[in-house]
Amino acid sequence: MWTRTINGRVLHFYLAGINNQNFLMRDKETGTWWQQITGKAIYGPLQGAALDLVFCDELTFGQWRTESPSGQVLAPVAKYSKEYDPNWEPDVAKLPVVISFPGTELKSRDVVIGLTINGAARAYPWETFAKQSPVLDRVNGTPLLLVLGSDGKSFRVFVARSDGHDDEFFLRADTPEWALLDTVTASQWNFQGCATSGSAQGKCLARIPALKDYWFDWRNYHSDTTIYKH
Amino acid sequence: MSAPAPYSPRLQTPQPDHARRRISRWLWAAYSLCALATASMFFIPAFIIRPFRYQAPRALFVAMSLRQRAPLGTLIAALACFILAFALRKNSSRWGKALLTFTLLVVTFSAVMARLNYFEWMFHPAPGPQFLAQSESKVDPKEMIMSVRLGGDDRAYPISQMAYHHVLNDVVGGVPIAVTY
Repeated sequence: MWTRTINGRVLHFYLAGINNQNFLMRDKETGTWWQQITGKAIYGPLQGAALDLVFCDELTFGQWRTESPSGQVLAPVAKYSKEYDPNWEPDVAKLPVVISFPGTELKSRDVVIGLTINGAARAYPWETFAKQSPVLDRVNGTPLLLVLGSDGKSFRVFVARSDGHDDEFFLRADTPEWALLDTVTASQWNFQGCATSGSAQGKCLARIPALKDYWFDWRNYHSDTTIYKH
Repeated sequence: MSAPAPYSPRLQTPQPDHARRRISRWLWAAYSLCALATASMFFIPAFIIRPFRYQAPRALFVAMSLRQRAPLGTLIAALACFILAFALRKNSSRWGKALLTFTLLVVTFSAVMARLNYFEWMFHPAPGPQFLAQSESKVDPKEMIMSVRLGGDDRAYPISQMAYHHVLNDVVGGVPIAVTY
């Protein structure tokens, strides 16, 4: 997701094409072409401009509902409701890819969580992440915590640091409720990265934007990406 | 007094026929160039920017460049085609007239399509977004959504919908955003 304001001017975007299976958009105000995944203007009067990233989560509706009881949901457009496919993921996974990167241990349609920390990109294979969650890692000197929700689908990434100290987190196995414990303060933390008990209660971990993507797409736009291995 | 030169019809061929044929050739050449230019401005970007087809950076640049200029470029070239076709039709054979008709159809098609966004025929844009309270929504709890929280507004965008529309212009907490998938 991106902001739509450049130099104080609000732009309105529309679908304009596809570039190696990542879509292109144009703005109505200047006709400039933008790459959807990077938010960068690649051709036209605003070429070189970059939209600001808007922080968003990919969650199950159920998870989101518990966290945002007063939130609103995008209404379906009735005349297009037949086009909405709740099982789009397995259908898309069958589509051919036009770009591939042989020589890497991941296949083109392998799902990864991709993130960048100060220019350093890393991809976390979904299957590995799902088996090992919570995942502790360090990218470009920043300690990271990647967590999978109790629904097995929602995920978040945090900076594994509380009170200025690097910290380690473990999933509590002795409660039915999903919760983490940290090794520094022994506080309990919820899926939103906030401490619900212990000395850190009320504090929240800093969030890191992350993208769930296919390997070929992530690799295409992050040529220097590393792959998480454990 | 010398005898007058014998009458020779060849030597007496009127000049305008030669000139007319030469002009006709130039007109056909100009017409062909204009028709090719019109069609190229639509068909080349349409060919390059296709789903399930690899696009090299250079090819994409060419496609975007042509597509950017096509609305005005095809209009000018198509207008020239019609003017030239009008000039050509009178002295054209039946096959010539048929060729003119066919190419004008292609020219018209290209000029019209250069103004239309056929990607939105495949993936219709969502009109001004409407939102429901959670109690009114029929989204399954296991279905994936993208959520954003800005300035007190908390919104969820089901991925099944965004995977179709691809882009949605919204304002959340007073911040204009583009929801993309």
